[in-house]
Amino acid sequence: MEHWHKFVSRYLWIAPHVFLAAVPAVMYIRRLHKTFPLFFFYTLYEICQFLLLFGIYLFAPTHAILYQYVFVLTLAGSAALRFGVMQEVFNNVFHDYPRLESFNADAMRWLTGLLLMVAILLGIYSSGSAPDHLLAGVALLDRSVAIIQAGMLVFLFFSARMFGLSSGSFAFGIALGFGLLATTDLAVWALRLRGSNLPLVRFLNLLLTGGFHVSVLVWLGYLLAVEKPATDASYAVPELEQWSGELEGSR
Amino acid sequence: MNTELVFVLIAVALLVSFAYLGTRRAKDSPDLGQALAAIHALDIEAFRNLMDPEEEAFLRARLPVQEFRTLRRERVHAALAYVNELSRASLQFARFGDAARRSSDPSVAASGRQIANDAISLRMLALNARVRLSLAGVFPGLDTSSVRPLIDRYNQAASLLQGLNGRSHDLRETA
Repeated sequence: MEHWHKFVSRYLWIAPHVFLAAVPAVMYIRRLHKTFPLFFFYTLYEICQFLLLFGIYLFAPTHAILYQYVFVLTLAGSAALRFGVMQEVFNNVFHDYPRLESFNADAMRWLTGLLLMVAILLGIYSSGSAPDHLLAGVALLDRSVAIIQAGMLVFLFFSARMFGLSSGSFAFGIALGFGLLATTDLAVWALRLRGSNLPLVRFLNLLLTGGFHVSVLVWLGYLLAVEKPATDASYAVPELEQWSGELEGSR
Repeated sequence: MNTELVFVLIAVALLVSFAYLGTRRAKDSPDLGQALAAIHALDIEAFRNLMDPEEEAFLRARLPVQEFRTLRRERVHAALAYVNELSRASLQFARFGDAARRSSDPSVAASGRQIANDAISLRMLALNARVRLSLAGVFPGLDTSSVRPLIDRYNQAASLLQGLNGRSHDLRETA
């Protein structure tokens, strides 16, 4: 059991970052780093964070406090960057639609304020009983961030569906990956706040890294499944004359 | 039920929704059959009559108050059915425009952008009209004149598509 857990946890710690390294590489080759500069930076940041933490784990295994502080600091940076990436995704999805863009900008402002209030209130009323103050702080921060980000992403998908925007683009792939990440974070950090025994902590760690692994695969999958700009439109086009005729008839 | 369980349940529900959204990408493509059906179902002239303020003023002047209210409710419900169809049709316009917007041909992409923008405006007006008409169904005294721009916007979007009719060959070439 111990051996099995060690293998899986190592795999889920290392493998997602190996796959993640392919994301900025493919983005650079496809020139997508110019369209999504913040996401490009985010992937590099996550890789550097992993290298730093893995380095401490390998070369200074006795410095648990150092590891903990580096983990918390880099986690805060990662959370902040995710908000930037989300703004980038919103801009990319709606930039061709000025009316929708301004409507969504207003709606987003209200939604973010509301979600922030929900997160603060939940932080006050359900702070949990985590044994470690630092861990409790991280859990609260991460859970609040997850609430806000999940809410923003639900809004993005909902408004795209409502107005017929395709969810096949890389921007939606990024959003979907972050959606999976935010939901895993939400569940894991909520349970972490409860305080915990070792088997539960181990399981939650696996869940967290597993969620990140799935997100990375989603990003890579969307990136490799090249957007087909013309084909989506083209299959409908031979029927355009018929469509216009129908429109004329309906007037 | 404790808070942690609520969070876990919310997270699972969100996870399922995101997974669902991720796996049904193919269905997001514009469905021409649906678009044609939606457009077919529209009788914009009948909708225009239902929203005609002169006709409404005429009925108000001729009918007793109670009878006018009952009739207005019926007219509002009929108008609501048209708005729902219009809303569905605008969604199909938007999907088509969005797909064309991603064309590698800049002129096709520009046309797609225009169609999608018009369709989005149309859908926003339709959603707004749906709320107003639903309220007017409950309170027949409410003014519904703000629903009329929806018809003009529909005509604008329809003209745009007809303008593109001659360019369908160019669009086909983008395949």
